[in-house]
Amino acid sequence: MSEPTGVIHDIGYQRYTGPRLGRRQVFGALYLHGVRTTFGLGRSAKAKIFPWLVVGIVFTFAATLTAIRAQIGEMILTYAQFADNMSWLVIFFVAVAAPELVSRDLRSGVLPLYFSRPLPRADYPLAKLLALVTALWMLLGAPQLVMFLGGAFTADGMREVWDELLDLLPALLYAGLWAVVFASVGLLVASLTGKRAFAAGGIVAVFLMTTPIVGTLSILPSTAVNQLAGLASPSTLVQGVGIWALRDLLVTDPDAGLSGLGPFGPVYALAAVALVAGCVTLLLARYRKVAAR
Amino acid sequence: MSTVSWITARGLFGRRRFLMLLPLPLLLVALAAISHGMGVPPSDWGPPVLIGLGLAVVLPVVALIVGTGVLGAEIDDGTVVHVLTTPLPRWQIVLPKLAVAAGVTAITVAVPLYAAGLLADSPRLGLALALAASAGAVAYSALFVAVSLLTRRPVLLGLVYVLIWEGLLGNVVTGTRVLSIQHYVIALADRIAPTNLLDTTVSAPLAVVMTVLVSVGFTLLAIDRLRSFSVAGETS
Repeated sequence: MSEPTGVIHDIGYQRYTGPRLGRRQVFGALYLHGVRTTFGLGRSAKAKIFPWLVVGIVFTFAATLTAIRAQIGEMILTYAQFADNMSWLVIFFVAVAAPELVSRDLRSGVLPLYFSRPLPRADYPLAKLLALVTALWMLLGAPQLVMFLGGAFTADGMREVWDELLDLLPALLYAGLWAVVFASVGLLVASLTGKRAFAAGGIVAVFLMTTPIVGTLSILPSTAVNQLAGLASPSTLVQGVGIWALRDLLVTDPDAGLSGLGPFGPVYALAAVALVAGCVTLLLARYRKVAAR
Repeated sequence: MSTVSWITARGLFGRRRFLMLLPLPLLLVALAAISHGMGVPPSDWGPPVLIGLGLAVVLPVVALIVGTGVLGAEIDDGTVVHVLTTPLPRWQIVLPKLAVAAGVTAITVAVPLYAAGLLADSPRLGLALALAASAGAVAYSALFVAVSLLTRRPVLLGLVYVLIWEGLLGNVVTGTRVLSIQHYVIALADRIAPTNLLDTTVSAPLAVVMTVLVSVGFTLLAIDRLRSFSVAGETS
């Protein structure tokens, strides 16, 4: 019986010796992919229907406002008020985008693949959150830019254009506040379930069921409760912060419903910060648990 | 009780996520009780709680989650094939599922609405709200079951209807209320128990006719769609 003879053939396997991209590039790729996902870019036509429906409605609305302003010369909504009036669409957009961002990965169980890369646990949810914030901010900010361009080209002289710009910039910040608050709440709810359908339903339920609480609290026979009522719902919370921070840009009608914050303006700002911080903490905790599985 | 409705009911109640349905009705009763207890006049808290929360949020959202859950969840899992391969006529699959969805929605919504209506005005208003909400539950369930057969993203399409059509357009362009189940429910409740709490531009006879039309029409559509149902994987 002959000795077993074995030969190891060199079939040309090579180690990768090129540069390895680190944490920042992984984060950047996740972020960019996230922003593209929210608008359905690089995906099938079916994935584009709902995001672009919202974008279409928002831009139609902005174009109409711009046209009315150019023709009649009357500004129906200020830049900051634009975000307030789009709140239902923002809720719907979050319900479309947030499950796409996180629920699909949970459902198909690909998280271990992500975490086998040089990617700290916290980076994954933070990149997704940042992507959703960016998408929402673009959704609210881009139409305001359209309105600004319309206003700038109908204005007489650079001075009025400058005034317009001074109105626009705080409104863009305000849109950013909307984006941060809604994205953190929405992403937290979406990260709880792997089913996109239930995630969407849950997000809408959370946002819609809190609005009537505000309506009820604001008619109770106690002024302090009335003034604090807006804290109960994310959208009125954001509006409260806006009214406190940029009063003249938001409240054109002195009898408007939520204008009476009393002395509680800073409370609204603190509550908004606390809400975002709480949601991000819970989101990170959630991913610590999911990633450990 | 047929096997299909038994399976459907177990599919709905057997999972923990059914508990997601409870906070909404509880909130409705709690808000009504708080307002009543604090001595706020019903004309102030009635519209935001009864219409703003009850009929505009709780009824459609519960109907959406349940209505797309009875058939849409099975389509999502692919387990609907097991039911489809049995020698049952399609209508015997759709009708029990629809009955379960409408029944669960009606009970979840009508009970808290009855309590809220009782606190707001009278047992008659409570009964009217409960009856109208049950009729609305049938119409919404038929709509959402049919939607879950028409598209692979039934919840989002349902949300488009609830949020954009009923929520946004219904308040701005009042003409669209003619095609809004929410306003049929309000009109029906207002017809059974006339008060100043409920207000709509839709007339009661139109609401009755349209509710029946919507319920029957979408049920027939669902049966027809299930007849030529193609099994496909999850879309991207």
